[in-house]
Amino acid sequence: MIMHELSIMLEVVRRVEAVAKANGSPKVKTIVLQIGEAASVIPRFIEDCYDAAIHQTTLEETKLEIEIIPAMGRCLDCRQVHHLRDSQGICPTCRSKQFEMLSGREFQIKQIAVEDHYESDQNH
Amino acid sequence: MSQIKIIEIKEGIFEQNNQTAQELRNRLKEDKTLLINLMSSPGSGKTTTLVSTIEALKNDIRIGVMEADIDSDVDARSIDQTGARVVQLHTGGMCHLDAEMTRQGIEALDPSGLDLVILENVGNLVCPAEFDTGAHKNVMILSVPEGDDKPLKYPLMFSIVDLVLVNKIDAADFFDFDLDLFRRRLAKINPEIGVIPISAKTGQGMTPWFDWLKQQVHKL
Repeated sequence: MIMHELSIMLEVVRRVEAVAKANGSPKVKTIVLQIGEAASVIPRFIEDCYDAAIHQTTLEETKLEIEIIPAMGRCLDCRQVHHLRDSQGICPTCRSKQFEMLSGREFQIKQIAVEDHYESDQNH
Repeated sequence: MSQIKIIEIKEGIFEQNNQTAQELRNRLKEDKTLLINLMSSPGSGKTTTLVSTIEALKNDIRIGVMEADIDSDVDARSIDQTGARVVQLHTGGMCHLDAEMTRQGIEALDPSGLDLVILENVGNLVCPAEFDTGAHKNVMILSVPEGDDKPLKYPLMFSIVDLVLVNKIDAADFFDFDLDLFRRRLAKINPEIGVIPISAKTGQGMTPWFDWLKQQVHKL
């Protein structure tokens, strides 16, 4: 499973490097990822393999931040919105198990924080 | 002193891959070459199934194969003996193929004049499900010894495939594999999915699978 997250993180590193390059190759201080509670990746595993993914890349000193997005569902019978983790998928109001997913499957790069002024000598 | 600037990206991690996959899918459709992504666990009989399939269809359909392996060419050599056009892709330690690797494999294979290209993905039920390869159809092989509870353990894989071949069906009694229960579990995850029980060893059930393939080639 860790291997799976590593492959995904290598993709994240490639994408962030491309975005940084398109913005004049500033030093990237932080990467912010958003991961839904019902996404197919495990945040702890993402953190575990992050160091390996940035090894020998331009992001070697970049920090990783992860924002967790709660998995919310709306009951199809009574429209009650509930937190799927707490409710175990069962509507707390009418006990229905039918719901539409409102959030929680996200897995995206939200933003990066970069140094605005960097030395003109980029080879140092 | 340097200041910090925020660059908004707001981009799904699979977006770039999905786009490359869609471009590849469209291009192959224009060229009338069907791309099938074949996935399974290691030891499910994927290569044996593929060899029998090529042998049975090679007079009707021009078939090419891309063998993805972490690092060997054992399977590619088995396929090569059937006379089908084959390329070996090494994923270099990666547990899956993405659309860009598939695109490069297609170029190396040279699909001109081929009706069907089968991509034998890395043997694993987790990671290949996550990355769209650009295939028109996703097929997986589940072998009887793996058990009828696999849809419960790998829901993502079973939700993205169009067809499951249940291989080694001749051994169902020895492994208490309940095909009806398996179908019911599958239907909850993916009501559209097709199921064909086969035995690549005895040839049982292979004809419906060949017919399905021929139909997909003609439909493209």
